[in-house]
Amino acid sequence: MNPSSLKSRFTTRFLRALTKINAHKPISSSSPGPGEIFQRYRRIKVAADKSMAYSVRSRRTWSRATLWRLRTRSPRSRLATHARRSWVKTRSTRAASHGKEKKEDGGTVEAEELRELVPGGEAMDLCNLLDETAHYIKCLTTQLDILDRQECTSREL
Amino acid sequence: MHARSWTCQTGRKSHPRVRPWVKEKMSSAVGRESFKKRKVEKLQNSKVVAEDDSKRIKANEEEGESKITGPNTNKSSNKKKETSGDTSKENSKVSDVQKPDYIHVRARRGQATDSHSLAERVRREKISERMKYLQDLVPGCNKITGKAGMLDEIINYVQSLQRQVEFLSMKLATVNPRLDFNIDNLYAKEVFPSCTTNFPTVGNMPPELANHPPYVHFNPIQQVVSDCGVEMGINSSDMALRRTISAPVSIPDASFLDTSCFTGMQQIQPSATWDVELQSLYNVAFTGSIEASGLKMEM
Repeated sequence: MNPSSLKSRFTTRFLRALTKINAHKPISSSSPGPGEIFQRYRRIKVAADKSMAYSVRSRRTWSRATLWRLRTRSPRSRLATHARRSWVKTRSTRAASHGKEKKEDGGTVEAEELRELVPGGEAMDLCNLLDETAHYIKCLTTQLDILDRQECTSREL
Repeated sequence: MHARSWTCQTGRKSHPRVRPWVKEKMSSAVGRESFKKRKVEKLQNSKVVAEDDSKRIKANEEEGESKITGPNTNKSSNKKKETSGDTSKENSKVSDVQKPDYIHVRARRGQATDSHSLAERVRREKISERMKYLQDLVPGCNKITGKAGMLDEIINYVQSLQRQVEFLSMKLATVNPRLDFNIDNLYAKEVFPSCTTNFPTVGNMPPELANHPPYVHFNPIQQVVSDCGVEMGINSSDMALRRTISAPVSIPDASFLDTSCFTGMQQIQPSATWDVELQSLYNVAFTGSIEASGLKMEM
């Protein structure tokens, strides 16, 4: 496997994040409470998404959108979210009108759904959206692969 | 019989796509081309040449014929045969062809040849190209034709992937309060002969990974592991690796999640193979024991 491949980049980052998360949590012998589990779940999920987005850097729209979303999760940056939403809205209306002009109206309903799923997909026309979706699917499968391996091995031990 | 090869360059995109369109059976097609003579005359300024038969040409593409000949052959071989009296149009065609930085697209029979619809057709071809690529990515999409169905499949697939990520991260949150994890993951992908000194039991590598080159980037993980003071149990890595390689989504043990969190997931109707795997995953989760009973998750 290529040492600088997406998979290895993601793995190193993700495992680093996991160790940090596990270091925070006190290793309790009894089963932790549901709230605690939920918190850890959130952190792990964020770590997975963040690691994946960082591994892709800014080469892709979806990774940029994910990183932006992760950075502005806190309520202090409400201004930033508002600015981004208005920017996205203008671009998406432009893209949507451009797309709907064409004869492919049958595809716009699903395209809207896809836009919601793929981060950063709101302001893209169908062509780029499909591009992003393909790369996103590839990265998601990588992420799942490593998460699954991680989970299996940690269960074994 | 003469063959015509056109080069099609799209100057607007970042990835210029050269489309060698080779027409072999021109004799039958010559008659069909007559329809566009009148229309092309209107388009002399737009510098776009219309062509039919793109499907056959695409088939030729796929067969591996990529003859990218210069524009000079065009004017020599074909103009005389197909155009009857439009010498002026021929000249404009020739002049068009000799400027290779314009889009040379052929309109099919009965289709408009103005620049808008041509550009739209290029766009549509791009989209269908990407849909084909996505069809390879998403498993179980071979039978589905049509954009709407494909898009539905893609949407379902992306949704299920995202849910799988959430599910697995939840599992990691519950299953793994310990710190001994990472090295086995890396062993699954790379072989590190340099670390055999650290891990004496590393000899039981799966044979299929033995061909991979050593992975120098391993160092940060090594440091992390040593910081945590972890003792690695490599002996079980074999079994784990074999299992992960064979069945990527397999949960023989019970999950610790509340059943209510799966109600949202259950709406996926399995139709493809990956759906079946996922469905078995949900079934196992339902029948498994639930430790954190009060756990409510927002998925």
